[in-house]
Amino acid sequence: MIDKKISVRQAGILIIICLMANKILLLPSLMFQQIKSDSIFAIILMFSLDLIFLPIFLKLKSLYPNEKLIEIISKKMSKIVAKIIYIIFAIYFIFKVLLVFSITYVYFKQQIYQDEFLWLIIISCLPVINHALTVGLRAFSRTIELLFSIVIVGFILCLAFSLFTEMSMPILFVSDIKSFFSSIYKHAFSFGDYLFLFVIIDKIDIKKGDSKKLYEYSIFGMILVILLFIIFFSKYQVTAFMHNNALADILVFSIQFNAIGRLDIIAMLTIMSITLFQLEIFAYGFCDSFINLFPKLNKFVVILFFDLLFALLYYFSIGKYEILVNTSHYWSPMLGIFVNYVFPIICLIIIALSRRRKNERKY
Amino acid sequence: MSYFNVYKIIQELKIEFNESIDFSYRFYKKDGQIIAFIYLKSIIDQNLLSNSIYYPIQTFQQMFSFDDLKDKIIKCGDVKEVKFSDVVKEILDGKVVLITNFTKKILSVDLYKFPTRTPTEPPTSPVIQGPREGFVEDLQTNITLLRRRLKTKDLILKTLRVGSQTQTKVVIVYLKGVANKKIIEEVNKKISNIKTDGIIDAYYILSYLEDRPNSLFKQIGNSEKPDIISSKLLEGKVAIIVDNSPIVLTVPFILIEDLQNSNDYYTNHHYSSFVRIIRLLGLMVALISPGFYLALQIYHYNILPLNFLITIADTTQGLPFTPFLEILFIFFLFQILYEVSLRLPSYLGLATSVVGALILGDTGVKAGLISPPGVIIVALAKIALYTIPEQSSQITILQAIFIILGGSLGLAGIVAGMVYLLNYLNSIDSFGTPYLAPYSPRIEDDLKDGLLTHSVLDFKKRPKSFSPNKENRV
Repeated sequence: MIDKKISVRQAGILIIICLMANKILLLPSLMFQQIKSDSIFAIILMFSLDLIFLPIFLKLKSLYPNEKLIEIISKKMSKIVAKIIYIIFAIYFIFKVLLVFSITYVYFKQQIYQDEFLWLIIISCLPVINHALTVGLRAFSRTIELLFSIVIVGFILCLAFSLFTEMSMPILFVSDIKSFFSSIYKHAFSFGDYLFLFVIIDKIDIKKGDSKKLYEYSIFGMILVILLFIIFFSKYQVTAFMHNNALADILVFSIQFNAIGRLDIIAMLTIMSITLFQLEIFAYGFCDSFINLFPKLNKFVVILFFDLLFALLYYFSIGKYEILVNTSHYWSPMLGIFVNYVFPIICLIIIALSRRRKNERKY
Repeated sequence: MSYFNVYKIIQELKIEFNESIDFSYRFYKKDGQIIAFIYLKSIIDQNLLSNSIYYPIQTFQQMFSFDDLKDKIIKCGDVKEVKFSDVVKEILDGKVVLITNFTKKILSVDLYKFPTRTPTEPPTSPVIQGPREGFVEDLQTNITLLRRRLKTKDLILKTLRVGSQTQTKVVIVYLKGVANKKIIEEVNKKISNIKTDGIIDAYYILSYLEDRPNSLFKQIGNSEKPDIISSKLLEGKVAIIVDNSPIVLTVPFILIEDLQNSNDYYTNHHYSSFVRIIRLLGLMVALISPGFYLALQIYHYNILPLNFLITIADTTQGLPFTPFLEILFIFFLFQILYEVSLRLPSYLGLATSVVGALILGDTGVKAGLISPPGVIIVALAKIALYTIPEQSSQITILQAIFIILGGSLGLAGIVAGMVYLLNYLNSIDSFGTPYLAPYSPRIEDDLKDGLLTHSVLDFKKRPKSFSPNKENRV
């Protein structure tokens, strides 16, 4: 998709929003079911692995400042490899959209719209996503940049208010190594969010000295998510597995100020905004991957295709949302492993090949 | 030797002007020399014509030559030689054209005069402190008002003619070396490409200048105050003055300009910041409060404070409308009253207030058709609209949209609507400047004149948002 460039600040903010995907609602309770509070170590480990993406991305960007990822892969490997990788990207992003949707649907159903129909979330989100895809990466990145401070204040308030209630240290080191790594494997799909940066590699304007900012933003995002996990497990201890909507639930039993009313609204608005931003980002990832696979297609045709595909998958899977969430344990690790481990290796090979070519030229 | 058949030319011009009743001419004949004065009497100063042109010619004792006429005899107005093909244009511009039979040269004397008003405080932008002068309909007066404030040779004024019938003068104003050349060229190109029969007011050329003429949001700034336009020129913007209009347009335009007010620069900057925050809050209240209230009432009543919830339950009990229809009903009632009050003669204004406030509002509540909280919320939104009057028409439409979103989808609808709106605003560029700058994208240096404004001592650099040629002010 042809788009104007975004700044490093905007790219950093997009990464923070991506980092929160799947992690602020369902993931804490899902991971708790398997490895209890040791989930904290699991996400620290996964985030550390995620961070390896950044130097690889920056190196690739410095080698190919204005080229698309598909062009880089085609040049250094082959067109077929590039197409296969982009097919996997498209599948990865559409399932990310579906998973974010399904998790948000659970939250909506349980806490906000108990009696409302399933399609409500589609009606409220899909036009916004379509519009964001139409106006392009730069426009919706600017929106996210504009609302970022408000969303982060909301996020921090949710955490801060929960500190007023009774809490105790989460019980750590209770799971064995096997279940620890099994949990990491099962939830690998929820990580590897830096992939989006690679997809938009040609659309980020990185000036000299700006790369440090990307690390700062990433670490800030990771700290927020880790804090959420720590506070959530400290607050709910052994019952954490019952609380599907982590960020919202830590506010539910927090101190209530009668003059203001219940504070759930902060969590509601924060979660709704973050979800919508994530959907925009992942939908863009899908459409961009798809348009690179079929470059002759018009942008609007791709958006229409996304809508149809999404509506179909939504109807057959999220209609019974438990299916998607439960079955994701079986299919999602494959995608997660490709994104988290195989793709970085491919990038390292490309970098090595590029360096060798450079050295050959020197001699 | 006779160069022109003066009588024949006058006959031809008479036909060209369709024998208009204000088409006039006079002759002066002496020793075989004929001088014809041709003009439109409705737009020239006839006293000046008699006293400063006709009388000196009558009293001139020698044979006339073109140079005598131009340099010695006529001592008023702007005297210049024009081509024969420009005669009609000159007459239409309020000039007296002198055609003689002793030279092939033609003289034009500017005696343009039409009723004009003196610069007064514009009703749309009153100030508590600061200059009260406003632009008027006369182009020359408006240029004078700017020249008085910007005494620099770098103030460039470039005139273009627009409209096949009106031939309206459109003046592009900028500071040489300060305004971005690309913007100047783009403005010039857009105005030159206007194909229309007439430009009656500055607003007529707005759509030609905007990148998205069908957008709900304006992309061109405007003001009736010379002090504001001068400061915008100093920032590196380009102004467009249209003859016969007291509104001066400026480009590029960013949304935050409507949150700024000339008063802000004439009071303490801490107070200005406070007032700007209030305006932003007013904008938010105007935009989403009815929709937000509906969302809470219909879907999220459990997050309302208990006492407020009881009040709402008490007052809405037994209403014939659903909450959604009730708010829509009050919204349209207010809108109808507003439209009526705008168009009614002022002596009927009191009657409208009585009918609106007492009969429709109070009786509506007592009759159990509408609830007091509903009336308060919509009234609050309608009043808050005027914290930024420049955006009132756009926000009114958005209010209706947010009522529908809040009423049908709850908070999710409000959030989705807000993100959609911001995505849309972020996709707009005004002459290359992002519409929501300096906040989105964030331009740190320009935040000094953002919501939290700094002292004028800190305004050492021009806003980067407008890509000025020269960033430092001094």
